[in-house]
Amino acid sequence: MSKGPTRKMVLKMTVLMVLLVFVAFGTVLGQLVNIQFINGDYYQEKAINQQLRTSTVNAARGTIYDCNMKPLVTSGTVWTVVLSPADIDSDEKLAKIADGLAPILEIDRETIIEKGQNKNSQFQIIARKVEKPVFDAISTFVVDNDIGNAVVMIEDSKRYYSYGDLGASIIGFTGTDNQGLQGIEAAYDDVLQGVDGKVVVAKNAYQTDMPFDYETQIEPQDGNSLVLTIDESIQAFVERSLETAVQENDVSNRAAAIVMNVKTGEILAMATEPDYDLTEPFELYDSSLQSLIDAASEEEKEQVTKDVFDYQWSNKAITDTYEPGSVFKTFTAAMALEEKKVSASDTFFCPGYQIVGGIRINCAKTTGHGSLDFWGALQKSCNPSFMQIGERVGPHLFFQYFKSFGFTEKTGIDLLGEASNTGLYHKEEALNPVELATSSFGQTFKVTPIQMITAFCAAVNGGYLMEPYIVSKVLDSDGNIVESTQPTVRRQVISAETSAELCQMLESVVSISGGRNAYIPGYRVGGKTGTSQKQDKYAEDGTRPYRIASFCGFAPADDPQIAMLVILDEPHGANANGGAIAAPVLREVFEDALPHLGIQPVYSESELENADTSAPALVGLTTSQAQTKLTQSGFNTKIIGSGDTVLKQVPSQYSTMPRGGTVVLYTSEDTGQEGDVVVPDFSNMTLAQANAAAVGAGLNVRITGIGLESADAFCSKQSIDAQTTVLRGTVIELEFLHKVEENVDNLIE
Amino acid sequence: MQPQPSRRTVSSGHPKKRRPAIRPRLVASHPATEKAKHQLRRKKRPAPPADSQEAALARTGESPLKHRNKFFSGGGSFDIPFFIIVMVLLIIGVLMMFSASYAYAYYSSKFGNDGLYFVKQQVLFAVIGVAAMLFISAINYRVLHFWSLIIFGVSVLLLIAVLFFDDRNGAHRWIPYPISFQPSEIAKFAVIAIFAHFMSLNQKRMHTLRHGVLPYVSILAVVGALLIVEPHLSATILVCAIGGIMMIVGGTPIKYFGIAAGAAVACFVVVFFFPSVLPGGVGEMIQEKLAHAYQRIEVWQNPFLDLRGDGWQTVQSLYAIASGGFMGVGLGNSRQKYMYISEPQNDFVFAVVCEELGFVGAAVIIVLFALLVWRGFVIAMRAEDKFGALLAVGLTVQVGLQAFLNIAVVTNTIPNTGISLPFFSYGGSSLIMLLAQMGVILSVSRGSKLRKSV
Repeated sequence: MSKGPTRKMVLKMTVLMVLLVFVAFGTVLGQLVNIQFINGDYYQEKAINQQLRTSTVNAARGTIYDCNMKPLVTSGTVWTVVLSPADIDSDEKLAKIADGLAPILEIDRETIIEKGQNKNSQFQIIARKVEKPVFDAISTFVVDNDIGNAVVMIEDSKRYYSYGDLGASIIGFTGTDNQGLQGIEAAYDDVLQGVDGKVVVAKNAYQTDMPFDYETQIEPQDGNSLVLTIDESIQAFVERSLETAVQENDVSNRAAAIVMNVKTGEILAMATEPDYDLTEPFELYDSSLQSLIDAASEEEKEQVTKDVFDYQWSNKAITDTYEPGSVFKTFTAAMALEEKKVSASDTFFCPGYQIVGGIRINCAKTTGHGSLDFWGALQKSCNPSFMQIGERVGPHLFFQYFKSFGFTEKTGIDLLGEASNTGLYHKEEALNPVELATSSFGQTFKVTPIQMITAFCAAVNGGYLMEPYIVSKVLDSDGNIVESTQPTVRRQVISAETSAELCQMLESVVSISGGRNAYIPGYRVGGKTGTSQKQDKYAEDGTRPYRIASFCGFAPADDPQIAMLVILDEPHGANANGGAIAAPVLREVFEDALPHLGIQPVYSESELENADTSAPALVGLTTSQAQTKLTQSGFNTKIIGSGDTVLKQVPSQYSTMPRGGTVVLYTSEDTGQEGDVVVPDFSNMTLAQANAAAVGAGLNVRITGIGLESADAFCSKQSIDAQTTVLRGTVIELEFLHKVEENVDNLIE
Repeated sequence: MQPQPSRRTVSSGHPKKRRPAIRPRLVASHPATEKAKHQLRRKKRPAPPADSQEAALARTGESPLKHRNKFFSGGGSFDIPFFIIVMVLLIIGVLMMFSASYAYAYYSSKFGNDGLYFVKQQVLFAVIGVAAMLFISAINYRVLHFWSLIIFGVSVLLLIAVLFFDDRNGAHRWIPYPISFQPSEIAKFAVIAIFAHFMSLNQKRMHTLRHGVLPYVSILAVVGALLIVEPHLSATILVCAIGGIMMIVGGTPIKYFGIAAGAAVACFVVVFFFPSVLPGGVGEMIQEKLAHAYQRIEVWQNPFLDLRGDGWQTVQSLYAIASGGFMGVGLGNSRQKYMYISEPQNDFVFAVVCEELGFVGAAVIIVLFALLVWRGFVIAMRAEDKFGALLAVGLTVQVGLQAFLNIAVVTNTIPNTGISLPFFSYGGSSLIMLLAQMGVILSVSRGSKLRKSV
């Protein structure tokens, strides 16, 4: 027998060994299989989730340029300030952070403290879109106080508007995640936004980078830029004039205007006034809108708030429908001409009304226009005449042209929210005599402003209905053209000859009749006024006092380049009609826009006589030298003071002044009592009265508007307020408007 | 059967009379004969058993008896396969500990941001440990008959002393002098040694309660109690498990284990259903402990329940293992070791192994441990005497069980208890201790009948 282990011991050892080797180690091996293969993917994914940090690199949103590559909207880097309470270990530290950040961010200290109480959170946003100076201030604070991860700033981007709220209703704005919410920003969101990049970094449990080469970076793809057809200058002219018109005429349902390139359909300007502040789109521009929200009941509040903001943000030029009124006579005339249903020599009689289907339909001039030829009917905007013309065209052709001019379809402009007027006009089968009669002068149906300007362009450009557009080019981030929009002709509606004749007729409306307030010396402007009664909106007393004053015009009449539609929705005031209040808006815009577009004025002889000139340079000359020079140039002279040398002149050298005006020469420093004059009140004076008053006061007068062409024009505006004391010889600008009387109330009784 | 040796003679390594019935065996002999034997093996392989038997018989004069009294075991060669397995595990272990610890050391100012902090020390201790192993392998393990008593006594004193040193995380497990070490490491060895000593002495009386059960239960009770007080549950379990296994091998009748199990169930029933029977407060206290244990079991069942707390280590370990897949992410490429696995150089080093070397690498290491256990048992079975056999069994079981429990914890097969992985986990004193114990097994192998069958 061995002294070594007994057989029994060896047996036990063998059993133990087998247990340990096969059972124990087999078990853990099996468990490894379980973890690494059976449930491997599950754990692996979780492991990767905790090891990898994906951070987004924002793609720069594209720039929006105007047609001359002036940047209207650009993107800049801003930061989101994030508090990570999980990294704040004490209340003292939180208090320190709150004290430090509150003044920099100009927010309440308590707000920061409150957010800091979410102990387990690592992501509490305390400020969005802070700019570089604030970013720098916070960075310094964080470094100086060794705050580390407790305050983190994440890059973001923000839209900057180079021209303030210019073009608010077309440009639109972006949300907190830089997504386009309105206007072009929304319509072209996927073009502008680009593709965000990503950085995937491996982080260790301390959240610092791991030294691994699998860090991947997906470069952000910057958004494309847009070049608009909008001309910043013209847009500015439009907004300036429209805003003034809205204020002066107490327009209560906003105003819209569109300027279009007649030949291409490019939108040069499109405005809605009043409009919201692009940088603060969530602030109501009008306190009356806020009162609507306040008045709503709790259940309705949400819906009312939404409606109010939709209203504020909507682009009236494309989202609204309106009754075009007399502007539509352009098209009735066009179809009658094209179909040769009328000739220039045809006469129409207007007794002030017409009975159609047993209903009396009034003319704006209830006393009647008497006998009118075709041109006269348009110039006088005579309703009975146009009812007769409409009758000659007949419902079938009327509707065909109505459709052909695009009044039954969307124009297809590349903006969001273009309204459809389906159901708001009479279809052919519904054009009974009364409907046909009223439609002939633009009542009882509705169109959108964009439909109107597009059709109007077709009427004057040789008959081509264009597809309006607002984005002309898409550029990639390197400035290469990715896409460019070509003008699209939808169809030819009328012949070039008809269009040419229509142009002349429309020019005559401006030069001798209801559209005279659109007259600009040196330019041939054509257009048609419109004043419509809102047939579907009643006052409390059952009357229908709500009107829309509009004007649609173009220039130059011999070679139409630009057209403009002005709509003032619900103006209030004695003479709230299209000719009186909408036409001047077009004039103001065209006065600036036509030279801007390089269309030079061509003055007639009489216009040249009245054209402005500039004052010669006289300071430093002797009085006799100055006087000689002035006489030669046809100016009158007035000398104040006893010196020999001209020390000062009014108007100053090279400033604009009327031909044959008086230049006042001062020969002593002290202008004295004689030098001061008080500006009189010119309002409602005729031109002759105003001239006399100005001479009497010792002022030079510069006339704008229709004044020089019309004896019954009246002064509507003066550039220097009455009772102001100014230097003798100062040039005062007086605007004269043609008196337009049009009574559209109760057209259809 | 052999006559029962007296205590006195055994403790001094008293030689036994050779009996004719004894089977020839190869034992440590003169260097000359040893050399001859080597030559023999090299020249004639596989050597016919007859040859070696003859050779052995030729050398079995007085030399075995003579050498048993020596401090050094003489020139007999130790078990080469066992030695190779140990060295392979050690090299892989140090390497993987280096890889696992690098990031942790690098990112921690506590270690001077020196990525090599742990490996530098571990290599040093490995060298010392290997030297110790080789030295001890050359010592005649029988000296432990005498030393086991002293070692046990010292270890009990150390287990008491440790309670007076500063705690780490609420447990008094470490004595910082001369190098930081855990007395529990020594206690494990002391228990194995003293069990082997008593069992080999009382081989004939192991079936009795008095000689086969009580001494060992008493020893385990003393050591276990001291460990519980630290508290050091995993060491307690390990010591009891090793002790239990040695008792089974040593000859304690199985029925006593049945009785112990029954008693445990009874205690459990009393504590849970009749706590009022127990003296005031004791029942509640135990119940409280059990509630805590139950919580740990819950976290074990679903470590995601307490992701940021007790479940963290387990979850991170599972992530690491799963990330490795079949072939692993490559040596040095673990991502989980970047502080996701807390203290990756310690108990969870194997998770990093799985991540970097994949299933293949992990399986190779598990197989290596299995081979080590197998070889250890083979050495035990062929030991020259029962003392050597029991020593080898105890020490092998200790390493094997520890490896198994560690990997089981890392793979969430069992609840998380702090057990380090032999050869892999960082720790100077424990590595030296481990290698020294491997030296004891090697020493046993020198006198074994192993070569006979090679």
